[in-house]
Amino acid sequence: MKIDGQIFSVFSVNPNQHAVSVQGVTFTYHGAERPALRAVSFVQSAGEMIGVMGASGAGKSTLAKCLNRIIPEFEDGDFRGTVRIAGEPLEHLRVCDVAPKVGMVFQDFESQLFSTNVAHEVAFAMEQVGMDRAEMDRRIIPALEAVGLRGFDHRDPMSLSGGEKQRLAIASVLALRPSVIVLDEPTTDLDPEGRAEVFELIAKLRAQGLSLIVIEHESEELRAADRIMVLREGEIAADGPPSEVFARTDLLMGCGVRPPGLGHALKLLGIDAQPESVAHAYDAIVRAYPHLTATLVDNLADSRAPEHPTIAENASIGSAFMAIEDVTFSYADGPRVLDSIDLRVEAGDFIAIVGQNGSGKTTLAKQIVGLLQPATGRVIIEGKDRAQMRPAETAREVAYVFQNPDHQIFAATVQEEVAFGPRNFGLADDEIRRRCDEALEAVGLQNERQSDPFLLSKGERQRLAVASVLVLRPRMLILDEPTTGLDHREQLRMMALVRDLNRAGIAIVIITHTPWLVAEYARRVVLLRKGAKIFDGGVREFFMQDELLRSSSFRAPEITELSRRFGTLALTTDEFVAWVKGRA
Amino acid sequence: MSDLRLMWRNTRMVVLCAISAALYAAVLVPFKVVPLIPGVTELRPANAIPVVCSFLFGPAAAWGSAIGNMIGDFFGGVSPGDIFGFFANLAYGWIPYKVWELIGRGQSPISRSPLGILKYVIACLAASVLCADLVGWADNVLVIRPFAMLGNVIIFNNMVSALVLSPFILAAVYPRVKKGRMLYTDVMPEVKLKPVGIRASGFALLIAGEGGAWIFGNLLSTGYWAPKFLPAWMIVAPYDKPVLIIVGPFILLAFAGLFMM
Amino acid sequence: MPIYLYIDRGTFVHRLHPTVKVFALFIMFWSVYWVDNPLALAPVGLVMLWIAQLTDSWPNFYRLRWFFAILVFSTTIAWMVFYRRGAVLVNVPIFHVSRLSLIFGIGRGIKLAELLAASVLFLSTTKIEEFTYGLQRMRVPYRVGFAISLSFRLVPLFIDSAVTIVDAQRLRGYDFNQGGPLERVRRYVPVVIPVFMGALRKANNMAMALEARGFGFSHEPTTFIDYPVTVADILAFAFLIALGTLSFMLYWTGLGGIGPLK
Repeated sequence: MKIDGQIFSVFSVNPNQHAVSVQGVTFTYHGAERPALRAVSFVQSAGEMIGVMGASGAGKSTLAKCLNRIIPEFEDGDFRGTVRIAGEPLEHLRVCDVAPKVGMVFQDFESQLFSTNVAHEVAFAMEQVGMDRAEMDRRIIPALEAVGLRGFDHRDPMSLSGGEKQRLAIASVLALRPSVIVLDEPTTDLDPEGRAEVFELIAKLRAQGLSLIVIEHESEELRAADRIMVLREGEIAADGPPSEVFARTDLLMGCGVRPPGLGHALKLLGIDAQPESVAHAYDAIVRAYPHLTATLVDNLADSRAPEHPTIAENASIGSAFMAIEDVTFSYADGPRVLDSIDLRVEAGDFIAIVGQNGSGKTTLAKQIVGLLQPATGRVIIEGKDRAQMRPAETAREVAYVFQNPDHQIFAATVQEEVAFGPRNFGLADDEIRRRCDEALEAVGLQNERQSDPFLLSKGERQRLAVASVLVLRPRMLILDEPTTGLDHREQLRMMALVRDLNRAGIAIVIITHTPWLVAEYARRVVLLRKGAKIFDGGVREFFMQDELLRSSSFRAPEITELSRRFGTLALTTDEFVAWVKGRA
Repeated sequence: MSDLRLMWRNTRMVVLCAISAALYAAVLVPFKVVPLIPGVTELRPANAIPVVCSFLFGPAAAWGSAIGNMIGDFFGGVSPGDIFGFFANLAYGWIPYKVWELIGRGQSPISRSPLGILKYVIACLAASVLCADLVGWADNVLVIRPFAMLGNVIIFNNMVSALVLSPFILAAVYPRVKKGRMLYTDVMPEVKLKPVGIRASGFALLIAGEGGAWIFGNLLSTGYWAPKFLPAWMIVAPYDKPVLIIVGPFILLAFAGLFMM
Repeated sequence: MPIYLYIDRGTFVHRLHPTVKVFALFIMFWSVYWVDNPLALAPVGLVMLWIAQLTDSWPNFYRLRWFFAILVFSTTIAWMVFYRRGAVLVNVPIFHVSRLSLIFGIGRGIKLAELLAASVLFLSTTKIEEFTYGLQRMRVPYRVGFAISLSFRLVPLFIDSAVTIVDAQRLRGYDFNQGGPLERVRRYVPVVIPVFMGALRKANNMAMALEARGFGFSHEPTTFIDYPVTVADILAFAFLIALGTLSFMLYWTGLGGIGPLK
């Protein structure tokens, strides 16, 4: 993405005035027992960027909605306190009246695009406020230029990638030239490239003096903010510069926020510094442990010894639980999505399938479970050709958990939802009950049997989706992006569950974009590019392939990058800290 | 009537209208039909959607039903009769909640009591018949297809979906929508009901009008009844003129009743 | 699967002013309406074939081939039941098979096919935004036009999610093709409910995003889209007037009828 020079020099930024001032804001949703926000007060200077963090339900989105009158104008509930934008109180204004002052970008990009072409989308808000056509014409190109979408004017917004859609949403907000932009988890649903695009844009807007409030789960992304505000149960638990807030790792973890890996490592090593990059962290460690660099050569030798033998290398032909043999596939009239893929999965494997969007990851998974049929080649499950099995039969061997749990939940209670699968197979009631108990126990939902699945949290719904296929007792489980949209606490819980299932003997395949998931949980990595398998091996080996990683836009976790500077390869913070301490 | 107009002021209702329409069309397009007699009659699972939406989103569902049907036509091609299809589907999404407001007496539409079920059937039937009357009438008057064929097929299709599919969807969705405060009564609390006497009279006119239209539509379009008071040259197949002259007023009467509700 | 019929070809028909396209659809309907005789329907049919060739709309006709066939067939059959005129040629129970009912039925079938063809041509060459622009020009209130265009945009989204849900339920052992026709309709419940709930989750977000973009700020928003009128539009307009007049003349002179009917 290319973002051109200064375009929005027109923002009226008065450095002496607060861009946003929030005083004693308390809000309780209609019918809720306790307030979602409690006496929140803060001011934002013009041109400042504030990062807002916290677990799901901590009040982040509620706070964002208070800034443009969605609360209390649109959401029912009890609102107290005052919000001022550029000194002007918002009381008595409608949401649409605030639109020209405060721009708001939401997580769900599909729900905020309304037009059939890109230029018209940018014009949408301007049309609403009654701007004349000449003025709209003047603003559209600069807005598209600002987000790097110049030349996309006539495209259908639905044909854009996720990152492009979100940038388009930002452009349409920019066109009104608001003085404050609030971004509510703008990258949660995006892949790494999309995230990078959006954060590059955010940095650019900030450089131009816009006041920004960014709600975000990943602390690494917010290191560049002026301030970090952490919310816990509707209250501000911490508010300060990133170097201060990120140093309080215990507080962050208590608030369900993943502390930046580098800072956490330094803290565990007793170094008092908040590194902004891997290079910084390296320097800080070298200062504290100068002898580490002296043993660089030895370290390198260490790191080559594989700690986990890679199963792929040791596998003997014929013992695979599932094997894909030379599978090729393309959608009607389209290019090849899978190109002569071979893959073997053993009982007890834990594989991460990675690759850019469109590299064929999900298509591969659909081949395994039988939702798609290969054009050539075959899929063998337990020695049987999958082509001879019905999808329902395959389902008892290999289960697939879709990315969005809401794509399968329909029953009135959690219990019924889980029982749906075994009922379809005509199992006896006793057996169904026994299996449901077992599955619900495994995912930690045994106390929610009678709950309405639609009212569960996103993390719980994701675990319910796992339970509802687990109940068929499959021997292999494929999870498509199992942690998307979950906060850190829920992510850990989900992955602990997956690890337990793996230990119980179920082969696990996760499709993911998240480097630390791969590093901490997987034992083997399969990298796809344009439908071809270009790497299949151990996790450590994978993270040593600099060239491969770069060309696939996949980054190793920062802690892994840091450890490599010392000539070793650590997959987790704990592992790295133990290594350093071991040499001390 | 006022709620059909007032809803456009409310952003949520505008969105719910678009959602009802898109849901209707989205089920209409890929799961088009389970044919019973190919080319003549089929089961359209999609026809369950306007009924469900009507109980949930009220006036937004009425417009949504009309727009959704139009989108379905866009997928498969339109004909002049579709102008009437628009209003017929408007009625199909409009009548269930209107009738329910009157005879449901604040009950939830998912009640499983015998009386509750009977009321539900009445509401759906009232909606299906007027929808069928209007399309059948228009197609017969434009000499596209005879009333007796299309009119009855539509009633059958609509009722099957409304009885076989809608109750299950409604049972699952209604309590959740209610909890999320997205029922039209929660989204637009400002809409006030007319006095019950006026609404009851409206209902009576609706039933009389649509019932009459259905009976005479069938009798006339089959040539079974040849009214003496019409000139003989009119009473020949395809009977477009008798259907125009005699069935038309009944349909107007039904709509007049509906406006009163 | 492409859901809508629009085919982006950039021919001069595609570039016509939306109002002219809507008028063209009307004239096609008009022209078909006034004539009944299968022969008299031929000129309009030929014009449509010509436009189909010009605009390269054949894929859509191919896609809807069965729909066309069923439409013509069922309409012909239906009128042979209800159009009980003329001397009976063959005795078939329920049906009234006469030369007259045959001509009438086939004429109606062709007529309906031509109406459908006209709309397929319209949809093959007209974008949704042109259609809603046309509606606005016809004084349809802004918010109604907006709801229509938003619905069009949401349909593919919901279809995508329905298709995914069908897959997800199949992988839980669910068989959609079990049972008789009624049971098969009922088996859509586990698909429709998640689609519905997903849509509802979206509804609130969408309404919020709309207001946050100023929806409601002004009663009659301005419009950014503009279609200039060109010479081609004027020529097309004149051609359509001529076609409509010709068709009406066929009716007026009795040439377009099927004899005893008019």
